Order: sequence, then C-alpha cells, then structure tokens
Amino acid sequence: MMWSWIPGNWPLIWQLTRENAYLGVVPALVGLVISLPLGVVAARWRWFYPPMLAAVNILYAVPSLALFIALIPAFGLTDTTVVIALTVFSLCVILPNVVAGMRSVPPATRQAATAMGYGWLRRLVTVELPLATPVIIAGLRIAVVAGISLASVGQLIGVSSLGYLFIDGLQRSFPTEIWVGLFLVIVLALVCDLILIIIRRALTPWAVHS
Amino acid sequence: MITFEAVTKRYPDGTVAVDALDLEVPAGKTMVLVGPSGCGKTTSLRMINRLVEPTQGTILLDGTDIKERNPAHLRRGIGYVIQQTGLFPHRTIEDNIATVPVLNGWPRKKARARASELMALVGLDSELAKRYPHQLSGGQQQRVGVARALAADPPVLLMDEPFSAVDPVVRASLQDQLLSLQAELRKTIVLVTHDIEEAIKVGDLVALFRPHGKIAQLAPPEELLAAPVDDYVADFVGFDRGIRRLSFVPAAGLNLDAGPVLPAAATVAEALAAARPWICVTDAGRPVGWVDATTLGALPGGTPLGQVPAEPIGHSFTAGGDSLRAALDAAVLSPAGQAVAVDGDGQVLGVATFDQLRDAIQAAEGSSRRQARQVQHAQQGPPT
Repeated sequence: MMWSWIPGNWPLIWQLTRENAYLGVVPALVGLVISLPLGVVAARWRWFYPPMLAAVNILYAVPSLALFIALIPAFGLTDTTVVIALTVFSLCVILPNVVAGMRSVPPATRQAATAMGYGWLRRLVTVELPLATPVIIAGLRIAVVAGISLASVGQLIGVSSLGYLFIDGLQRSFPTEIWVGLFLVIVLALVCDLILIIIRRALTPWAVHS
Repeated sequence: MITFEAVTKRYPDGTVAVDALDLEVPAGKTMVLVGPSGCGKTTSLRMINRLVEPTQGTILLDGTDIKERNPAHLRRGIGYVIQQTGLFPHRTIEDNIATVPVLNGWPRKKARARASELMALVGLDSELAKRYPHQLSGGQQQRVGVARALAADPPVLLMDEPFSAVDPVVRASLQDQLLSLQAELRKTIVLVTHDIEEAIKVGDLVALFRPHGKIAQLAPPEELLAAPVDDYVADFVGFDRGIRRLSFVPAAGLNLDAGPVLPAAATVAEALAAARPWICVTDAGRPVGWVDATTLGALPGGTPLGQVPAEPIGHSFTAGGDSLRAALDAAVLSPAGQAVAVDGDGQVLGVATFDQLRDAIQAAEGSSRRQARQVQHAQQGPPT
C-alpha cells in the first residue's frame, strides 16, 4: 500500500468516482421510469406479468460484456452503451418490486378508495403508488448498488469508471490502485444506498421503520 | 330512498348471489341486511354504490336509476364504512376524514376544519388528528372510518360489517354511538351484519336473507322476534327471542304496587301492617334495600326500618324509559323476586311482582299476535 499515491492522484480519483456514480445511478433511474408503467400494467392485468418477467429475466441472463458488444454497432464505445446495458439489468430488479409494491396495497384500502369516488388515475397516483413506495425503493436500492459495481465492467470497452483503477493497477502490478478502486466502489455504493434510505423516510413518514 | 327492483346478480360461474331482490330502504331509516355468509347481503350492499354491477334489475336512488350516474360522482354522495376500515395508511387521521371533501374540490384547510368537526362528532380526541391510522386502536380506527364516511354529509351511508372486527365492549359502544348519531343525522343507512343481535339493536327494519340471495323476512326487529315467518327465521333469530323481544315492550304498562314501599323512618309495626312478604325501604324517596316480613316479626314494633338490616336492591328499572326486559331482569335479580320501579329522578314509584310482569307480558303477546296475523295477511304469497 502506497498511501502517498492517493493525494497525488486526487483529481483522477474524484473524476473516476463521479463517472462511476453516474453510470451506476442513471440506469437505475431510467429503469424506474420504464418499470413504473410496466409494473402498473402487470399488477392490474395479472396474465401480463409472467411473459413480461420472463423477457426481463432472459435479458438479465445475457452476460454484460456480450450486451455491450451487441450495442456497440449502434452506440459506439460511449456512456450510452453502458447506460443502456445497465438499464436492462436494473429492470430485472425494479420491475418485480413495482409489481410487488402495487400488490402490497391492502385490498380494503383500494376498495375504500374506489367506493369513496376516486377515478383510477387519481387512485393510482395518490393512493396506490405512495403505498407501493417502500417496496419500490427497496428494489431501487438493489439496482443502484448493483449498477455501481457493474459500471466498472464498462471499462473493458473503454468507458471510464473506477474500473480504470483495477485494470491500470493490474497492468502496472500496482496493488494500491486496486485497493483504492475497491474501497471507493464500496463507499460509493453505501453512500448511494444511504441517500435512498433518507429519501424513503422523507417520502413515507407514515411507515413503521424498524 | 333506495329501491331494488327485481335485482339479480349472477357470477360468470353460474353462482347466484342475489336472486330477483325487491327491497325498499325508506329515507332516514336504518335497514339492516342480515344472514349467513354467502347469502348475498354484502353483494346487495355493494350494488348500491356500483362496486358490483347487477346482472339484471334496477336500483333507484331517490327515483333515479344509478346506472345513469357517473360512478365516481355517485360514490361521493354515498358514505361507505367497511370492517377492515380501509383507512389510507399514508394519510393522517384528519386527511383520511377529509378525503371526500378534497375529492369534491374543497380547499385543504376547509376540508381539515370539517374533519375536526367530525372527529368531535364521533368522539375522537382532537390530539389524534396528526397521527397515522396504525397508531390508533381498532375501535378508534372504526370511528375514523365512520367520520370519513360522513365527511361530505352524504344522505346515504353503506356499512359493511362495520363493527365485526372489534371486541364486544367496543362494539357495543360503537353501536350506541351509531344510534345516537342516527337520531341526530337521520341518514338513509344500509348496514350489513351476520350478527342478529346487532341487527335487532340498530335496525329500524331488518331484512333477513336466506342463502343465495332471497329475503326470508323483512320486518321491524320487534316483529321479527315476535312473529318469525318460518323455522329458518326462528332458528336464525335464536332460542331466547321471547325474552329479547321484551326489549321492545315499554315497561310503562306495568301495574305497580306502592303498598310495600316505606320510608326508613317508618316503624316495624307500620311495615307489618302493610301485610307484604317483603318491604322496600326508601331514603328520601330512593331505594335502600329489601327487608322480609319474617325478620320484622322478630323485632320490637317501634324499631325504625332504617335500623333493620336490609338486602341490597340489585338494580331498579325506570318505569317511563326501560323495557319489560329490564323490569323482568330486575325482578329475577332481586332477593324479593320483585322489581323496583323508579322515575327519571330515581324516586321509587312502586314494585312489580312476577304476577304483574306476567300480566304485562301476556298483554304484549296478545297485541303482537294480532300484529303478526295482520303481517301474514299483508304479505303476498305464502311464506316458504
């Protein structure tokens, strides 16, 4: 371990961390935006869900590197390629949680909302989605943490992230760089997770927090 | 007024939940739908606010076919209370209650002010306004459910087993509250229950359902107890319906005997002169206890009754307000086998023996039998 390397390369470390955070968080958010309507549809028409889940799972089974390579002809060696690939993976985690969240709304609450004169859209936005929020955010947390660790694979096609430190450290037989990269991936994941926990608490003041 | 005209609900699997139901719920009255599970009572209720659509037939609300109303608008004019409360877990108590006013476009502040009025009306402490439903007891949650249903002052209230999930003590207090609210508000209420006691307590009219959505008998509760149309109704109403029916007969018709009632200052000699097996001793007009003639016979004639050891009264009944059931209960529990009647201020009016109770009960039986015959004449077609 060569501690002096860290202050000397601080601008590089900071830049790689920001890039890694971007590559980890953006796909999860895009995945959330796609999963919400799909999950609402799947929760409402149950037969729709099994084929939807199967499709997402098959995509999840594709090795990430293979998916990058498949996307390169269209998007090149860019951030977009990595973001699209990681978005596909995040769907697999977030979509089932949106469906589970919608199903966790107590039937009596849903029925009471209807009986009180809610239209379906207003019921969805003001009753069902708020009640599904804790479960949806649980899925988002997993997607973000997984995204942050998967983002380093993007380095293999030249998209910059903390993965650079692994590859560079390996090529130069310089373990300090690898340890710093590993440490920062973990810290980044924990920080993002913590932010999501804070957001969940702010959005769901009614929930019983254990 | 709510009118069912030949309403049938048949599910796709062929099950008939409600079978050609005709029913009229008069405005301002409480109609209880009671029956075993699977008898179609809840389905009938849910057809009123279009949570369930009938297969055939028409439901009119104040003369208008509900099919012609926009479901959401129709529902905002019909309060709805369910067993599991269906409160919104993510909203505070005041916002839960303010739900329908907010849906109707009231500003939030005005809706919350309305919520606070309703919390007072249903007996909820205003401190609970900012709490969430899971922080309240089952009984409190049920009160919130009632307040929420009443928030937009709808003329009609539908209640689906509203008190089934709470313990008996809380249930009795919620039922009492419903009765006092209804005395004040005069809503048209349809209440579903499987509990015949509840039906008899809160209903102006009781519709007792048979399995598969036919009404076995529709009658005021006292008539259901006095004159069940067949064995099914008699069985459902229960074995002690004779005693329970007395709840509907006022005790005012009892002949009271003031002879054995004497003040504490009276002497043993005066008590023996009354020639009764038991003497009811009073102090400033209020009942103190019973003394029996055998005890008195062994005492010097000048002894004041206040110094004679007395047996406790048990409980008395109010001649003007209580029922014959209360009077009979007072007699059964009394050491003298007699019920002490008091007026509204607790002053003893006299006592009633079992003989007098029997006469009053028989008089009531006679009038209810005449009533039952009239009912049977009035009903079209033979009771099945």
